[in-house]
Amino acid sequence: MSVIHRLMHPRIIIGGGIVALFALAALLAPVLPLRDPASQALLYSLLPPAWAPGGNPAYLLGTDSLGRDVLAHLVYGARTALYVAVLAATGAMLLGTTLALLAGYFGGWIDWLVARAVDTWMSFPPVVLALILLVGFGAGINNVVLAIIIVDWTRFARVIRSEVIVIRRRDYIAAARLSGFSHLRTLVSEVLPATLPLILTLFSLEMGIAVIVEATLSFVGLSVESNVPAWGVMIADARVYIYQTPWGVMLPVLAIFSLVLAFNLLGDGLRAALDPKLRQRGGVAP
Amino acid sequence: MTATLQIRNLTVSLRGTDVLRDLSFDVGPGKVVGLVGESGAGKSMIGRVLAGALPDGFAVTRGTATFAGQDLTALPPAARRALLGGRVTFIPQEPLTALNPLLTIGDQFSEYLGRLSIPRAARRDIILSALEQVDLPNPAQMIARYPFQLSGGQNQRVLIAMAFVSDPALVVADEPTTALDVSTQMSVVSLIRRFNRDSSTGLIFITHDLRLAAHVCDEIVVLYAGEVVERGPSSRVMASPRHPYTRSLRGSIPEMSGPLHRLIPLADSMPGIGAFAAMPGCRFAGRCPVADPTCAARPPAPMELGEGHMVRCTPACLEGAAALTPEPLPPVPEPNGAPILRIEGLSKRFAPRRGLWGQVRDPGVLAVDAADLVVRPGEFVGVVGESGSGKSTLARLIMGLETPSAGRILVGDTDVTQASRAARDTRLQTLQMIFQDPQSALNPRRSVERLITQGLEASGAPDRPARARALMKDTGLSADLARRFPSELSGGQKQRVNIARALCVVPRLLVADEIVSGLDVSVQAQILNLLMRLRDDLGIALVLISHDLGVVRYLCSRVCVMQNGKIVEQGGVSDVFSNPQHAYTRALLAAIPPDDAADTWPPATTKDPAHDAA
Amino acid sequence: MALVILRLLGWRLLVAIPTVLAVSLLVFIVLRLIPTDPAAMSLPPGATAEDLDRLRTEMGLDLPIASQYLIWLGDLATGQFGTSIFFRRPVADLVAAALPNTLELVISGLVLGVSFGMALGMVLFALRGGMAAQMLDLAGSAIMAIPEFLWGLLLIIVLGVSIPLLPFFGRLDPGLATPDRITGSLMLDAVLTGNIQVLGSALRHMALPAMALAMGLVPLVMRVLRASLLDVAQEDYIRMARLRGLSESRILLRHALRNAVLPTVSLIGVQAGFMFGGTLLIEVIFGYPGLGNLMVDAVRNQDLPVIQTVALVYCVLVLALNAAVEVLYLTINPRLRST
Repeated sequence: MSVIHRLMHPRIIIGGGIVALFALAALLAPVLPLRDPASQALLYSLLPPAWAPGGNPAYLLGTDSLGRDVLAHLVYGARTALYVAVLAATGAMLLGTTLALLAGYFGGWIDWLVARAVDTWMSFPPVVLALILLVGFGAGINNVVLAIIIVDWTRFARVIRSEVIVIRRRDYIAAARLSGFSHLRTLVSEVLPATLPLILTLFSLEMGIAVIVEATLSFVGLSVESNVPAWGVMIADARVYIYQTPWGVMLPVLAIFSLVLAFNLLGDGLRAALDPKLRQRGGVAP
Repeated sequence: MTATLQIRNLTVSLRGTDVLRDLSFDVGPGKVVGLVGESGAGKSMIGRVLAGALPDGFAVTRGTATFAGQDLTALPPAARRALLGGRVTFIPQEPLTALNPLLTIGDQFSEYLGRLSIPRAARRDIILSALEQVDLPNPAQMIARYPFQLSGGQNQRVLIAMAFVSDPALVVADEPTTALDVSTQMSVVSLIRRFNRDSSTGLIFITHDLRLAAHVCDEIVVLYAGEVVERGPSSRVMASPRHPYTRSLRGSIPEMSGPLHRLIPLADSMPGIGAFAAMPGCRFAGRCPVADPTCAARPPAPMELGEGHMVRCTPACLEGAAALTPEPLPPVPEPNGAPILRIEGLSKRFAPRRGLWGQVRDPGVLAVDAADLVVRPGEFVGVVGESGSGKSTLARLIMGLETPSAGRILVGDTDVTQASRAARDTRLQTLQMIFQDPQSALNPRRSVERLITQGLEASGAPDRPARARALMKDTGLSADLARRFPSELSGGQKQRVNIARALCVVPRLLVADEIVSGLDVSVQAQILNLLMRLRDDLGIALVLISHDLGVVRYLCSRVCVMQNGKIVEQGGVSDVFSNPQHAYTRALLAAIPPDDAADTWPPATTKDPAHDAA
Repeated sequence: MALVILRLLGWRLLVAIPTVLAVSLLVFIVLRLIPTDPAAMSLPPGATAEDLDRLRTEMGLDLPIASQYLIWLGDLATGQFGTSIFFRRPVADLVAAALPNTLELVISGLVLGVSFGMALGMVLFALRGGMAAQMLDLAGSAIMAIPEFLWGLLLIIVLGVSIPLLPFFGRLDPGLATPDRITGSLMLDAVLTGNIQVLGSALRHMALPAMALAMGLVPLVMRVLRASLLDVAQEDYIRMARLRGLSESRILLRHALRNAVLPTVSLIGVQAGFMFGGTLLIEVIFGYPGLGNLMVDAVRNQDLPVIQTVALVYCVLVLALNAAVEVLYLTINPRLRST
């Protein structure tokens, strides 16, 4: 029954664990025994990982076309990915949730405006919007964060607004008003806590999405500045040499996969642990 | 004549605990047997046994259910499926959700006839004839309609038609009228009886309404906590119930005629499955007013009282139960003092919604039409009506949850019709609301203590726990519930929390919207008695919105009858109920099963599809 | 019924106009934030300052932004979509060549994704929890963790390079001539002209890109269908159908599935934007000559006329897909028809 006990869900533990691992590696990157990701060694270019034939134990995961260490690139790329993930998800969450709460609770023209905005955003492929925004803003990691916030606030707004509308109709909201609560107090102490599980779940999923969007943008070459390591850039570079060594593509893909899967598991686990409906049904997810 | 269905010593268990224990009764051809019990008594479980649809973990461990020479409990699935829908049919509780919303009535009926191996060419005529027999207007049009286009009553008629079209030997009707309005209930019940009489079908009528069962059924089987506590011809069981539970059940139903008696209060509520394991003896012993220590140790054996009347009790307890007589209620003092609440010409129209080209998307509705009402201190006023009468809207208007389109509301001397801050403050000091659905009226994340003292939160008053304790005492909640959450409370307890919360700011008038409709009869009686005590102790006034005229008769001194937004009749309860002036009031009163089982009800002519057209 | 559909489409058309306008405004404004000068990009190096000024006036770049926007809208209304700075060809031609290809890709991806997703959703439902169901669920989560374009790369590595099963560049085998242009759609034209060889080649080239695109849809459809089947299974009318003696298979197919499919249909509408977005990089990776490839090139070269027009085309496509989904929903669900 206690919250802590419910959070000991296998998906939360595994997902959270992997995220923590990545976060740790990213934070400690400067002090870890890694090569400088920017240093080139043209003699040792396109090496496969140490365990593959032709590999060199000095470069544990191999090198790219310019002889740069893949492992170092991966770890530093994690910094980029996590920076974008946390900031963008937080921004999208704040913007989307605030608008959803106001729209769902007050209804009227606020709701109409927000609903129309969400409709407009939904009528456009988000990736294309992100590309266009970055063309306008120019390259840079903070521009990427801003672009993702602008593109993805609707993900929060749409879902949370529906939830708020359902909660709004419950009698305990009317009861709160009849107890003398102001609108603000009602929103904060009655409506918001009921939406927190959903917000948390979406936040975790959004971080995964932000990682993917960043990788997409850096694949196209429109994300970070050219000297900043990013997984998408690694993939774009390695794609040319896919015949010689698929490892160059596989390893960053694996990194993206692991981190995003971890965020998804975490989100799924949070939803299963905190959603009373799922629990009553006997648990659809384990 | 052999019975259609013979249940003998049927026992259903869940992990070693007997959920249904030792049930025995017969259903004869052409007879109606009523299974009466409160929610959780196990009456629906019997239907599931017959259907072979017991939930996971439940299993028949003893006894038999013999139908047409076969034991239904031992039937392989294929043989059972051959019976279902053919010789054994069901009428459900919720007619609005019992049919697939995406297929037409005709499609689903035709599909069913296909299951009965009726060739396609013959189906249409059969369907039309069946729909005509259940008094549905314009059957040819009905066939092309979808279930959501029909009212609850109309849907139920379709389901009844489907249940009887195969000329079944046994029909199981699981609370078929519980979800319907009182007047619709009457016409549906008379329909079922008519079908049953015209054939030799045996009918099991499952209900929680003892009075209804007394008129509809030939025999009544009273269930409590999974056991049959009394069984016999309905006239006998209703007129002279012997078992202490049946007596208190009957005593918990407010009477519609004659002098009022105090409802017999039974403490707590019926034990749930989890408590059964610790009850080897009589399961009613914990609440029984005449129980002695041996009752709880050993289950009493069934006693035959002659003429098919059986009671599961000991002679000593039976004598004690017979000695229990309900006490008459003292007369209610006349209210005096200036009116707390005055409503003059109050109207509310929900605006029509128009599409972009001016087409009408939603015609709008005049929910409340020029209502007038006065409530004095200490006065209990009932507002009765069926669904759609506008009574709930009236309640919301009074509380300021809706703004009126016309008219005035005065609290004391202050006009609170407008939505100004001052108006709101005045209103909230004097009036408070108790909501209908305790499930949605209590924030699941707040503890009982924080819920009850919610009214003090905005003003930041200190010492909330003490105030909460005092209020819990007033409303009969035990103090150890203070830190619990709503999900851990029973329906009755939740409703008490609701009431306590409303009392927190010391209002002078409470508006109660259908606060007892979802509760068991015995729990309902507790709440009604609580409200009476609050009136006597605190001098509080009450506006009670209800569809149940019996409750209003018991509790209130004045009543307003609403139909389609208008108050069609208003006056003292005894006057209006014994001498109704308006046709609608008369129809409403006639739709209630009378107290005396000897009276003929439903009356012979009850074909009124117009009622169902709403 | 047909009347209801027509009225819906008419309404959708009307509502679409302000949406498209809003998108166009958004795109226009964002692109004007670029510091680089489109006129300067169009000129060869060595041009003089006067050349630059003249070209700027010609392109209308000296006017205030509001006027530029209105002029552009006016051009659009009269069918003038401008000239690509990079390709030096009319944008309309570029779009007309690319659009049918992207449509074919999206439709193939939709068909694959929805059919596999629904099949797996029903399997997952039938498995009812237990080890196999959990594995399948986990696999779904894993698939969702990889964006579609990366699936494209993985599919190339596995099915194109390691096991050279399918081709992964362009639309046709080199050397095959494209059939006569009747509808503009390669596969339709191949069918209409009876050119089996081209059709076969086109299908084989479409396989990997469509599979990659479908990967974005399959796990979602699987989850949603399974969840709605579970919900529907608890509904009263399913229980009553069983009590009428109908067979389990009939109940599943005729009653449960019909109701459960509705949220899946809604999902496709919601995912429409994402599907078109997915085509972007998939086309780049597979060298597929569609709108996505065009857009990415335009973005890399800051080719504003192309970016603006293709953005609007995407908007219209997504709205059209949404409208189609709503019509489908209406045919299944009678409840919405009576308004």
